[in-house]
Amino acid sequence: MSQAKSHALADTTVVDTDVHITVEEETVAKYLEEPYRSSITDSPHAMFPSSSWDQRMGGKIDDHFSTFTGPEDVQQFQSDFDIDYPIINTFEPLGKFPQPDLAMSLMRAYNDLLLDQFLDDYDFLGLAAVATQKPEEAAAEIDRLSNEDGIVGIYIGTSGEYPPLGDPANDPIYRAAEDNDLPVVFHGNGDEFMFDFPHHNKGFNNYFEVQTLGHPWQQMATMSSLLGEGVPAKFPDLNFVFLEAGIGWVPYMMHRMNKIYRMRRSEVPLLEKSPEEYLRDQFYIGSQPLGEPNTSDDMKRMIETLGADMLMFATDYPHWDFDHLEELDKYLQHYFTDAERQKILYETPVEAFGLSV
Amino acid sequence: MNDHTVATVEELDDGDRKLIELEGREVALFRIDGEFRAYTNWCLHQGGPACEGSVTGTSTAEFDRDDLQTDLQWCKEGEVLNCPWHGWEYDIPTGECLSKEGTKLPSHPVEVNDGEVIVSL
Repeated sequence: MSQAKSHALADTTVVDTDVHITVEEETVAKYLEEPYRSSITDSPHAMFPSSSWDQRMGGKIDDHFSTFTGPEDVQQFQSDFDIDYPIINTFEPLGKFPQPDLAMSLMRAYNDLLLDQFLDDYDFLGLAAVATQKPEEAAAEIDRLSNEDGIVGIYIGTSGEYPPLGDPANDPIYRAAEDNDLPVVFHGNGDEFMFDFPHHNKGFNNYFEVQTLGHPWQQMATMSSLLGEGVPAKFPDLNFVFLEAGIGWVPYMMHRMNKIYRMRRSEVPLLEKSPEEYLRDQFYIGSQPLGEPNTSDDMKRMIETLGADMLMFATDYPHWDFDHLEELDKYLQHYFTDAERQKILYETPVEAFGLSV
Repeated sequence: MNDHTVATVEELDDGDRKLIELEGREVALFRIDGEFRAYTNWCLHQGGPACEGSVTGTSTAEFDRDDLQTDLQWCKEGEVLNCPWHGWEYDIPTGECLSKEGTKLPSHPVEVNDGEVIVSL
């Protein structure tokens, strides 16, 4: 950012809940166990599937992604974007890999890389990647990572996950996260839309349609599964964070699940209060990608409905649809009190992730 | 408040109910565990005829965190009233809605006097 830091930002400590470091396949290969390391280094067959959608439209949208690979890039980003505490993750959604042992190996490799290259020698905050294909192994990985400085949560991509993430098969993961005081962070993905919605991925004619639905559909499916299986009731001290679907879908889900709960309570008897109460008590929502209503009052009402206790700022940098802090802050400064703004940019993520900053 | 004799005690066995109209309002008299309860036939959700719905039990569940098992149980057999419009559950002994805290069916005082059941409205 070329302009000087604005006065309001200079006075505000900002936590960014969603910063992705780019990890080239050859880089993670160095941390992988065999035979998977050689699958990357020596095989002509690509191990990482791609949907082949052109997210950057032939270069019309610049590529901030490919070069965002090292700790110095994160530091430059902090400086340019006025971010005091970026919570970084290694991004790759691991649910898409059909081989359970490969997914487990990738999980450990990404975490070893995160520690080795970013957390051991810097003051960054990071999320431990979790693959759910073998929940007991994932729980062991959470235990292993929990004592590492800088690990403030676990990270699960919500694409390609089967069974859905609230399924009791995943309870060992949630128990381990709760035991270690780490929130569970769910992140939606556009390129991986094909794994959960293959018919739509094949049927849509442009990425506009995929991008519109991909993240919210994955996040809605995850939130519905979590509530329907009573996960927040099973683990009342566990926090849940949802990233990268914006915020408008949350009031919709909150109110819709209230309605359905009141009609079908006996089907979900683990729930002892309304879905909205569970969401307000244990769930947190990252702001990015913030919707862009034509009338700014509409966004004011949406932010008010979520409330400053649930909403947290996120950039999603360096991905092509990232949000600059100004995007959310123009609403916060115009419509909300300093105390509410302070919560959304700092205090609420501190609570959600249990940060000591 | 007006008293209305709406039934005799012998008229209703445990688990029975009787729908009546009092002062232009639909009211249901329930007999459960020997006690009588009277509620307005009006669901707090959308005004459906709650008191005409099925009477069943309902599910409860307990989660054991150590073995990660959920124990599902059927309970309150004969004590749960389900609104026929959208399935809102009400506890017949108390009138409380099971899925919305603080919500109760409108109730009316009931007395038994000399073998007659009297509802006050």
